[in-house]
Amino acid sequence: MRCLIFGYGYMGKIRCQALRHHPLVRQITVVDPALDPAVAGSADIELVSGEPIPWERADAAFICTPNHVTAPLCVEALRRVGRVFCEKPPGRNWEEFSRIAEAAARAPGHTLVFGFNHRLHPCIEAARALIGEGGLGDVLYLKGTYGKSGGARYRENWRNNPEIAGGGILLDQGIHMLDLFHLFLGELSVVEAVLTDGFWGCGLEDNAFVLLRSERGVPAFLHSSATLWKHTFRVEIGCRDGYVMASGLLSKTGSYGREQLVIGRRQFEDEALAIGNPREEIIQFDRDESWEREVHEFLTAAKDGRPAAHGTLEDARRVMQVVRDVYALSPPTRAAVSDPGRR
Amino acid sequence: MRVVQTQQWVPLVAVKPLDGLLAYRAHCLAVSRASLRERRGLRRSPITGLPLERVGDIDGLPYGRCPASGGWFLMELPSPERWARVLEEVNRFRRSPETFHAELAQSRADAVYAPKLEWIGETLRLHGLAHPVMLEAMTAPSHFTTILRESALCRDVVTADEMALANGLPDARSGPMAQAAVLLESLDRVNDPAGLLRGVAGRLEESGLLFVTALVASGFDLSVLGLKNLYLYPPDRTNCFSLQGLSQLLERSGFDLVEMSTPGVLDIQIVRAHLARDQGVPLSAFERQLVEMDEEGQAALQAFLQQRGLSSFARIVARRRVETA
Repeated sequence: MRCLIFGYGYMGKIRCQALRHHPLVRQITVVDPALDPAVAGSADIELVSGEPIPWERADAAFICTPNHVTAPLCVEALRRVGRVFCEKPPGRNWEEFSRIAEAAARAPGHTLVFGFNHRLHPCIEAARALIGEGGLGDVLYLKGTYGKSGGARYRENWRNNPEIAGGGILLDQGIHMLDLFHLFLGELSVVEAVLTDGFWGCGLEDNAFVLLRSERGVPAFLHSSATLWKHTFRVEIGCRDGYVMASGLLSKTGSYGREQLVIGRRQFEDEALAIGNPREEIIQFDRDESWEREVHEFLTAAKDGRPAAHGTLEDARRVMQVVRDVYALSPPTRAAVSDPGRR
Repeated sequence: MRVVQTQQWVPLVAVKPLDGLLAYRAHCLAVSRASLRERRGLRRSPITGLPLERVGDIDGLPYGRCPASGGWFLMELPSPERWARVLEEVNRFRRSPETFHAELAQSRADAVYAPKLEWIGETLRLHGLAHPVMLEAMTAPSHFTTILRESALCRDVVTADEMALANGLPDARSGPMAQAAVLLESLDRVNDPAGLLRGVAGRLEESGLLFVTALVASGFDLSVLGLKNLYLYPPDRTNCFSLQGLSQLLERSGFDLVEMSTPGVLDIQIVRAHLARDQGVPLSAFERQLVEMDEEGQAALQAFLQQRGLSSFARIVARRRVETA
């Protein structure tokens, strides 16, 4: 398969790395206007810094661009190539997502996958295997915290430019957690949301607190933040017969801590000493294959002409619907404590 | 590969009290010593085949160290047939009312077997292996066979004599193929651990899961106390691998490691029990500081040992490698 990668930033490089080692891939072309035209590619990667885009030499396209060009490129790629892998978010807003969905509907036999790799992290897969019929019983509630500290150059990043990004930390990082919530609970509706722009003052939310409810009435609570000075990823799932707590993420820098899953079982029958303090097991993981597996699923689905198992248009619709409803409910407000000059 | 840590406090007296152990240990040593009055053979490292370096004796029975991977091994053994009879005799004694095992049956079921069952169940679920046929290699009879059968985790539980498997006896080689297998401290007992793994691999489908528990010499209480550790004796600890040695043995025997954990909870209690019994136990001042910390400190140290693969109780999950042409 000949693959076109649009955008050669952080995500473009990750996808390129995964594609280089995939047996179905025989050519990679990277398109990015920021590339230096003087820099040559390598034997297996062609670099293109401008027009014309070599659509005719592509069997699949990877959209790894800033948000403002995601939707138009995705629409064009669906029309021209029909096999598209698109990084999250699927557009800056509901309208852009809808344009992508319409383009997909006009492209029969298309393969469209969105990059929601957190589903494939080992702590999440292990949690999935253990809840419900896996022994811990039905889910009673779900809480998720996902946040980063931003960093000194946070304001300069395109992700925090309202025009380019379309949304703040909820759309950028919280969207992964929303995808996980849907994975565990199915369709969710927004009950309440509070968004603040209390520290960075970019005109986008730097904290989002979102209360959701599943169709079966299971509550879920998300805190998505760009002011967690200690990088945090934590999902807590309470079940009828126990609980799991996934935390940490295997990442390049390791800043989210060691990826692990705590498993505890409810113990209040005939075990008086254990009430409120059950035996816990902690599984620690040392290998994240989520990027490779996500790409593999897209490529094999495209080759076999079948729908992908995850990252589907329906998965994207669910998260974008929640994001739309949260933004409609609560535009980001400046918190009273905010004083950008004080930093 | 994953690592599992357990947050649980189990008192040593509830599962293997040092005082209660002594009579059982003496019996084990006597039976082992008696077997060695017959023909005996000098052993080599079960991992590398290198000659063992003698490190000392346990009640007159010499132990040697694998020069490549560490770990201690009883240096001499009688014929496999005779050793099988030793294991049978010790197993019979373990089940008699004369040992602490019988006295503590309920607390051992709760604190020893229940967590093992939970571990196996969770691992099977994580790997999408529902209701496998499970092979248990053991010296009959085994409490765990009954526990496995009653658990409903497995479609069927088949058993095979660990010594017969280790020594390639025809009866052990035949029988239904399993999707999972369990070796509870079997590698610690048999005369030929590599042979046992070959035997199990022969009864395990490709990609089948193998569950192994073992005491490891690289763990805290065994490292600190060395051969003076009263929990170290034949035949139960004929082989006391290091964690590294155990992983090498599995990999060389056609298995890929899935989990390698040391979720032991007793290391510090074991050292403290030895100190309480004999103040002359040769610990450095620093080691004494460690084991004499308050409860909070002990819990933190035990958690650290678990996280870093430094507890003496090892739990391993390995997958039978798919043969490629």
